[in-house]
Order: sequence, then structure tokens, then C-alpha cells
Amino acid sequence: MESTTMQQRREEILAKKAKLEELKRQRLLRKEQNQARQSIGSPSPSEVLQPTPRRTDNDKRDLDDLIYNLVGVGGSRPNSTQPGSPAGGRATRPHSVISASQLSSDGEAPASTSYQVPVSGMVDREMQTLSIAPLATVFEYDGNEVHASKKEKEVITYSKGVQASIDWSPPKSRGAGGSDSERDESPTRSPRASKRLSRRQKERDEEIRAQLKKEIEEEVRAAQKAAEAGEIQAGSKENYPFKTLNNEELTAVENSDDFIEFVERSTKVLERALDQQLDYDILADYAHGGLDVDEEDEGYGSSGAKRGRRIKEIAQFWDERWSKKRMISDLGFSTKFPELVLASYTKNPSAPHDPDGLIQVWNLHMHDRPEYIFHAQSDILTAKFSPFHPNLIIGGAYSGQVLLWDTRAKSSPVQKTPLTGSGHTHPVYSLDIVGTQNANNIISASTDGVVCGWTVDMLSQPQEFLELTSPPPAKTDDMAVTCIAFPQSDPTYFLAGTEEGSIYPCHRYDRAGAKAGVDGRVKYAGHAAPVMSLDFHPAKGQVDLGDLVLSSSVDWSVKLWKVRPPAATGPSNASAPGAAQQVTPILDIAREDLVYDARWSPVKPSVFALVDGAGSLEVWDINVDVEVPVQKVTPSDSKRGAFASMPSGLGYMNRSLNKLAWERNEGKRVAVGGMDGVVTVFEVGGDLGGMETRGEEWSGVKRLVGRLEAVGEGVNGK
Amino acid sequence: MAQNTPDETLSLLTRLSQKPGVQSTLVLSRETGAIVRTSGLISNSTSANPNSTLPASSGAAPENYTNGKKEGGIQSAEDVASMVWSFISAASSLVEGLDKEDEVKLLRLRTKKNELVIVPDPKFILVVIHDTPPA
Repeated sequence: MESTTMQQRREEILAKKAKLEELKRQRLLRKEQNQARQSIGSPSPSEVLQPTPRRTDNDKRDLDDLIYNLVGVGGSRPNSTQPGSPAGGRATRPHSVISASQLSSDGEAPASTSYQVPVSGMVDREMQTLSIAPLATVFEYDGNEVHASKKEKEVITYSKGVQASIDWSPPKSRGAGGSDSERDESPTRSPRASKRLSRRQKERDEEIRAQLKKEIEEEVRAAQKAAEAGEIQAGSKENYPFKTLNNEELTAVENSDDFIEFVERSTKVLERALDQQLDYDILADYAHGGLDVDEEDEGYGSSGAKRGRRIKEIAQFWDERWSKKRMISDLGFSTKFPELVLASYTKNPSAPHDPDGLIQVWNLHMHDRPEYIFHAQSDILTAKFSPFHPNLIIGGAYSGQVLLWDTRAKSSPVQKTPLTGSGHTHPVYSLDIVGTQNANNIISASTDGVVCGWTVDMLSQPQEFLELTSPPPAKTDDMAVTCIAFPQSDPTYFLAGTEEGSIYPCHRYDRAGAKAGVDGRVKYAGHAAPVMSLDFHPAKGQVDLGDLVLSSSVDWSVKLWKVRPPAATGPSNASAPGAAQQVTPILDIAREDLVYDARWSPVKPSVFALVDGAGSLEVWDINVDVEVPVQKVTPSDSKRGAFASMPSGLGYMNRSLNKLAWERNEGKRVAVGGMDGVVTVFEVGGDLGGMETRGEEWSGVKRLVGRLEAVGEGVNGK
Repeated sequence: MAQNTPDETLSLLTRLSQKPGVQSTLVLSRETGAIVRTSGLISNSTSANPNSTLPASSGAAPENYTNGKKEGGIQSAEDVASMVWSFISAASSLVEGLDKEDEVKLLRLRTKKNELVIVPDPKFILVVIHDTPPA
């Protein structure tokens, strides 16, 4: 026992001597290196460290940790130095705690800013068994120093400071995560060994430590100054786990579903962000600019109008790739997300490889690109958002199919009716979704007079099948249905507009006094050409106006009808069987062009809008005037439409507007679209849209209808 | 929804990078920090893969280009990438500090000269630097 202690002591003394020698050498070396460093610029630590083949694995690890410490970036990073280095973050770092104290107690050279790898490698190996410093000394470094050196990540030397910031670990663990490399090598001291230190040595150690500390402080200060002077050659690059992909990796990444999905998602977000900026700059400083005063009345085509009646163009949608050479066949706003507008398109005759049918869902906050694109094999003639399910879009196709798309799925329909068999075999120009949230049906009508009812869950087979035929006086049975419309209150009864111009009431089911199908006892006659649209009044106010119907036709007119309630037709029919009762419109508005669509405002009882073959959108308020529209605008030419490149002489054809749709919730926005494939969205002023309606507007319409009815009867001589 | 092929994905990015006002775009891998796509940025020729560069906005004429960026020192894709990286890390730790279960969804950074819009995702990061209206 005694002898072993003695021997150890001797060994220690030997080591000590060696160490002192080394210390001197290091001092010299440090000076040299300091000079060298200044000229070279700080070499990246990994480079310096690499030529140390003799190191044990542990040491290498420590080095790596040191580097990470200095570089100070968490997470994954390319392991440039050693394969064995811990890949993880700080958590996995070997405990480097003790080395700091060891350093100072060893009385080694004061810390230097560079690594003295080769030297230390030689000397330290001899001293592996030595232990000098009491472990506690580590704590002597005060916090300030720690923080200071931590901030200066480029100052590689002060690994001690960095170490101190790391969680303390059991003393026996090897130290030196952050310390200079030669110190890592220096004795692995066990606590047992440290006890045996002589007091003298301890004192000396203290001395040296104090000296060391002073020097460290100085250097930290110097480094800070340097940093302040902006002389950090830093290394964002050093900090950054940067990696270059080669071609293969690049393709691999770009073909990954993750990437494709990410781009899809993130570019949408960005486009919205960029477009939003165009609308309004939240950093606008009105005190400075003064240039763009908010144009109150400068909306397109609103010249001279009262503010409440102005119409302002707010967006136009057209896509070079998809909208080209297609015509708009239908438009619709989403009820759940009022900023979404869907537009269905006919085929592009010059692109036979593109799908014929197309639906684009546009977002008012994203101007250059559709939010969603849906495809179909055949031209889509009509489409709308399901009012009961915000994700679903229902469409009717030229092939006679009824299709269902889901915004959560891909671009092809999630469901469609079969091409042959029980459904439609003629184009479906009109469809509607009727019922309630929990029980609703899709009702579709094709040009051969077939009306089918479907459930959203199953499109393989119609739930209802009804063939409309022309009532007796007609020469043929055939009835070419161009459009259907359901009243708000009754999903079992609808109107069907035909190509010959008449409008017939129809029942979905047998009922008292009437069979399912066309009710031959009443005929709404007035139009001389195909009926292009039918729209029941969306009565939601204090007066029931639900029996008012607006029809438009290519006979250059819009007509207002007061339809008979289905039950009331019974008795009158009994008296004169076979003779259909002809009902004339209560108001006939002649226009200067083909009228393709006419729709009631969803909120204002007296307001409706129409679009015509001349390319105008007209907004009418029948309380104000029944002969001229209160507003008339044409979409601007700013977007390149399908005919944009053509000479303006062709203006007549290309400007034609086919469809219009009101935003259903607030009634402030109207979307129109036509031959050139451009969707234009207008915003109407407070008199023509918006939630607040006054009672007199409702009663005004009621009075007007009463007056018109009286006049009509007077004219008819009844 | 319709875009499923890499080609169309690329065209989306190209479109974005060619939108008026967009100076540069950058797609990074979140894990490795590798640059997947850039546009409008100068890459350090040694380390970058030229294939990852997309055509930049035609609106950003050369003069613009230098005006806006040389001054700010934003030139190299690698620099921007590393700065964005650390910015996102900082933002992430901030958000995590506020609420452990929260995460960063979008970063918009307005500067005097332009704006950075950053979309962080679990796997990738998309950055767009664009001009802002003079204010």
C-alpha cells in the first residue's frame, strides 16, 4: 500500500515536471500561432483538429463536441470531422465539465485561442494518470465570463466558458468537451487521485489558476472588442448546417410527394400573401404618402352614380394554361367560404389532350392562380358548391353525367354517374341541390326532358327518374328542358324552362290532383325563344315574395312572373280539363341584346342582376325603376381573355357574358363570366347589396307586384 | 389539387418567382438545410448545384436587383439560407417558449426595402423576398 502511494507520488512529480516544460513550450507556440492566426484568419476548427491521428476515440469525440459547442447550432449537421462523433445535439455530448478546472489546476499554459494539437498529443499521454485539481474549482469561474465567451462563438478558445454552461455531470466522466485539445488529453483524474495531491501543489495550482483566469478575462475582453469592431469573420457559414445536393439528390427531393405537396401548399400561401399586399399595405403612412387617396367613387363604370349604387370591379380571374379558349358555362360562390368562386368551363377545342371538362375554384385573395382545379372527361355545363357540404362540388356534363368533386381529393371527380343506363343520356344543363342539411338530393335535368334525383352518397343509380313531356296541345311529346328552378319553400315542385320558350310547373311526386311530371294545367307563356335562366325570389324577409320568378331568354327580354302555388291549380283545372291555363308575366323588360342570365340579389328584395350578349352586367332595382337598370358595367379588358389578341372588330361575340352569380351571404359581390373565359367579380354599393335591408324595400316590392298584377288583368280584359 | 407531377410543381415555383415584385425565392430542406431551389440569388458556384436555380422575375431588372440587394448584403443563396435558418430557429424557440404545442406557420418580415415571407414546414422551408409598395 505504502509503496504504491509512493510510486504514484513519484509519478506525479515526474509528470509535473514534464508538464511545466510543456507549459513553456506552449507559451512559445501560442505566440507563434497567434501571429499565424492573425495572418491567416481563423481557420475553421475542424481543419485544425483533423491532423491528430493518435487521438483516442474519446478525444475525437470531445473535439467534435467542442466544435459543436463553438459552432453552436443544434440539430443535425454534417459530421465532417469524425464518424464517431455524436450526431445528436447537445444532449448527447460527453460531459465536459471537469476539464476546465483541470486545466487551471494543472498550471498549464494560459488558454490560447488556437489548438495546439501536436504538442499536446505527445505530452499528455504520459500524464494520463495524473490528477491534480480538486473538482470543486470549476465553480470558481464566474457566470459573467461564461456568458461572455458564450456569446463570442467565434472565439474558439474559451471553451471553458462554454463548458461551464453545460450540465454538470458526475465527476468521473471524462472532461473536455469544450476545452482545448491538449487539455482533454491531460490526466484523467479520478476523485481518488485528487485526494492525494500535496498541499503545496494545490497552492501552486491556485496561483496558476488565478493567473490563468486573469489572462482569460483579458482575452475575452479583447475578443469582445474585436467583435464589436465588426471583425467577426463569421461564419454564418460555420454556423449553418449547409449541404449541397447533387443532381440525384435534387431529383429525389423534387420527386418526393412531400416536396410536391409542400410546394403546392406553400406557394398558395405565398401567392395569397403577395396578392393581399397589393390590396392594402398595412404599413401605409398617410402622413407621408398622400398619393393614393382612397378612390371612393372611382370604381369601374360607376361614373356619376350615387355612392350606394356604385359597382366596382374587384378582381378578374384567368389562367393562361387552363382558361385559354374555353367559355364559362357556370359560376357559383361558396356559401361557407364567401371568397371562393367556382367557374366551370367548356372544352378547349385546340387542346385535345387536355380534359374537356374543367372547373376552377378561384379565391378573391389570390388573383393569378386558382385555388383548386377539377377535371372531367366531358364539358361541364353547370356546377355549384353543395350548400350542405362546403367541400363538395357538383357538376353536370355534356355527356349527361352528374359528377361530384371533393376539394380534399384530387382533381378527378370522386363520384360520377355512369355513362349509360339509368341516368341521363343528354346534356345536363341544369341541376340543383334541394332539401335540408340531413336529407338532400341532387336534382338534374337534361335536354331530353329527363329529370333525375340523386343522393350525394350514391351516384351509380338515380333515386328518382322523371321524364317530362309536353302537355297535349303541343305537337310532340318531347320537351327540351334548358333550366329548372326550385322555390325556397317546396323541394317537391319546380319550374322547367324549355327551348320553345314556355315555362312549365312540374311535380317530383304524385300529389292530390296532379301526377308526377309536368303539370299540364298551367303554362307560363311569354318567351319566344329558349329560356336561359329561371330564378325564384330568395325570400328571406318580412314579406313573402317567394312566388316571384325571374326568367331570361335569348328573345332579348327578362320577365317577372308570379307563379301559382301548386295546390291552387287544382280547382281551376277541374272546370276546364285539357285546356291549359296560360299565365302571362306581370312584368316584361325588353333589353337590347340576348339575355343569358338573370338572378335575384340574395339579400335585397327588389334587386336583381342580368348579363347579356353585349357583355354588360346590369343591376336593376324594381323599386327604383322597371325600365332602366340602376347600374350597367362591362368587365375591363385588363386580363387577357381568349379573344384578347383578336381585332376589336370582333368585339360583339367575344364580350358576351353567359353567367352571373351573387355571393350568397352578403349579396355584395357579383361574379360574371362569358365567352372569353374570364371571370370578373364586381362589388356593389350599399344600396344594391349588403345585409341591412329596410322594411319599405319589402313592402315596396309587394305593392309593385300588386299594381303590376292589376294592370295585367286590366289589359287582359278580365 | 391538380398538380401531381414534378414538372408542374416546378412551374408553380417558377410562376411564383416570376410574379411581379418578387426578387428571389428559396426552397430549403428543413432537415439538412440544403438548398433545393433558388431564384434571383447568386449561388456560390463552388458549392451550389446549378440545376437548382430557377429563372428569376423578369420584372426585377438588373438595376433593381443590385439596388435592392447588394447594399443589404443579400446576395448569395447560402448566406440567405443560413440567415433564414437561424431566423426560423429563433422564431421557433420563441413560439415554443410561449406554448409548447404551438408551432410557426408563417413569418413575414417587413424591412425598409422589402419583405421576406417564409413558410416553414416540417420538411421544407419556402422563402420569398419581394418588393413592397414604397412606404
